[in-house]
Amino acid sequence: MARADAPKTGGKADGAAQEQAEAPRKYEPKYNWMNKSRQWGVRVPPGKAGLKLGDLNVGVYGEIPGHWTDETRNPRGAVARRGMPPVGYAVRDKAGLWADSAADLYEEAIQRRWAPATDVPWNTIEPLPDDVEHAVCQVCTELIGYANVDIEAITGWQHRMSYGYHEVKQFLATAGFDAARHFECFRKRALVNGGGLGLEGPGRVNRLILESRGGWTEAVVYLLLLRGVFTMTLYKHLERHAHNDAERFIYGHALTDKARHVTYGLEHLKFAIAHVDDQRQIVATLFAFGDGGLARDLADPVLKEALAVIFGGSVRGAVKKGLAGYGDFMRDFLGTLLAMCRYIDVPRDPARLPAALKEFAPVGDVAA
Amino acid sequence: MATVENGTEQFDLGWMRRTGPWNTRAPRGKHGLTLADVAVGAYGEAPDESDNQTGRPRGAVARPGSYRIGGYAVRSKSEIWLDNASFLYEEALQRQWSSATDVPWHTIEPLPDDVEQAECQLATFLTEVEFVAGDVPARWVSLTTPDFLEPRQVLLAQVMDEARHMDVFRKRALANGGGLMQATGATSGFVGGIDLSRDFTEMSSRLHVSGEGAVLTLFRMGELMAQNEAEKVIYRLCAQDEARHVAFGIMHLRYMASAAPERREEIHCYLDEAEAGIIGAANPVGQLTPTSESMAIILGGGKANFDDGMNKVIAIRRRQLGEYKKRVISAGFGERFENGRSGVDRMIDHAA
Repeated sequence: MARADAPKTGGKADGAAQEQAEAPRKYEPKYNWMNKSRQWGVRVPPGKAGLKLGDLNVGVYGEIPGHWTDETRNPRGAVARRGMPPVGYAVRDKAGLWADSAADLYEEAIQRRWAPATDVPWNTIEPLPDDVEHAVCQVCTELIGYANVDIEAITGWQHRMSYGYHEVKQFLATAGFDAARHFECFRKRALVNGGGLGLEGPGRVNRLILESRGGWTEAVVYLLLLRGVFTMTLYKHLERHAHNDAERFIYGHALTDKARHVTYGLEHLKFAIAHVDDQRQIVATLFAFGDGGLARDLADPVLKEALAVIFGGSVRGAVKKGLAGYGDFMRDFLGTLLAMCRYIDVPRDPARLPAALKEFAPVGDVAA
Repeated sequence: MATVENGTEQFDLGWMRRTGPWNTRAPRGKHGLTLADVAVGAYGEAPDESDNQTGRPRGAVARPGSYRIGGYAVRSKSEIWLDNASFLYEEALQRQWSSATDVPWHTIEPLPDDVEQAECQLATFLTEVEFVAGDVPARWVSLTTPDFLEPRQVLLAQVMDEARHMDVFRKRALANGGGLMQATGATSGFVGGIDLSRDFTEMSSRLHVSGEGAVLTLFRMGELMAQNEAEKVIYRLCAQDEARHVAFGIMHLRYMASAAPERREEIHCYLDEAEAGIIGAANPVGQLTPTSESMAIILGGGKANFDDGMNKVIAIRRRQLGEYKKRVISAGFGERFENGRSGVDRMIDHAA
């Protein structure tokens, strides 16, 4: 690093500098901040996809310790100012939040942004039979509730996370914003086509998510894996049964967003399990509680019946084709969830699932 | 609605009778289907006091057996409401940008070392303060009932904006042969700080009106401060975002002033505190902080022109104070400038 008082090497103010050097000084700067850098001379060039957050992790700026001791808002790699009161972050261990993919997922979220007001082709929505409109509106009401829990859980944790791991906080800012868009978009769908909002959901899994006191990792199990995969699979099947291009667009884009959230969740749990003793068993226990909560929510017939009406095309179609579609959805959900559990090294035994889930579990999917 | 049966399955379908107002058909406007467009009938009515403890979407039918999970601290409309939240939210969605691809990074050329150091000190400071502006609104979102969905949506957009600001200034610090420098620590947990506000309006007056208002004035000086097109674009886009956040604070104060006049004196106390710190260490053009020195170098074009640069810093400081005053007047609290309570006019006179 050049000395602060070193001769200037050029620049637009050179001429003026010469004149000023002769003039008496009006102010007396201290310059005590100059030359204070842990690593100078960093020049990160933009790549093919621009200048990405992850590109900045060079030298000391890319050193991400297992525990972040600084409790102020000192940016990672900056020189800390000593004697500052702590802000009081609760999550200061890398194993408590990290995922290697967080920086890339953050940039991807920004590139894939969309605006429900103008990007959804609302003009393609036509009146639907009353039973189907009821079902769509009931499902939208449930999905707004899910998005609300996403919002409250993410924002409830985000500010408690240390800035040593800013990539994760950055990613969660996009996830909260995605959830805001979903909250808005499903409300718009419910109120645009002669329907209205329906009955709020039963809320057992909501409670598990919001009451995750054991740390962000626990919230990730419930919010991004259990509820996240359920919602992601739901979007996928609703997209298949969309009634118009507007719904197709909404479910398709919400699915893309949700896939990013689930990806972060998977990568984080894999990291946490690899770095924390007993984490694997803890995650397995959390899933067992979660399964019970989900089974209890699904014992309530409202969502199932509304989905069956959508998948069956009518109340009459719901009883056969609709229930078959619901079964396909649940089998897809459980197959995906159990495969993801194997990926994070928490294999699950379908035989031990609650009955309401076990009937849809893939045959032969057994614990290692 | 008939109950239907299929062998072992019986469909109740009772939920079809349990809906909010039916036959709702929100009209699409010139700007698509906006949040304001769906605020129709009962669905558009935010209650003065929310009793929603289950996270129920506004206008949906309550389920008696639902768990109380909310525990929301913000349940009075006057505490958080503003009249143009839907507009600000939709604008935020339309004006999202990418610091990776929308900033012409290739236009950055090597700078003299003193100027690069000053740029990096400023970028370090802005990275640090953007952390606050993201963390604090996020916390308040989690404490606010979904019945006040419109302001909550704006705050979520703000959290996203601030993430991008933090990221763009980190990028700037590491893109041109420099590096991060020393944090100021001005954003730590000081009493009277934005973090420690116990009330949403208190937080908003500190964050949106005085804090972000000061930063907005600065960003609007981007043409003067920037050394290249990349920096011009950064300041321009950040100013656009910041203007929305400031607008939120002003419009909320305005609503509060009319809906809860009994709280006016309390709000004046928050403004007293905000003004006490307005040209302090948390302001990049405050009085002789590392950031104001770095600003003087940037605005002067180098250490050799420090005096010239500092004169510009002082001009910006005056402008910040003047704009703050206009905003507070616009929010409906202008009497503090008439009755001698505010020290802002004196600060403008003695800005140097």
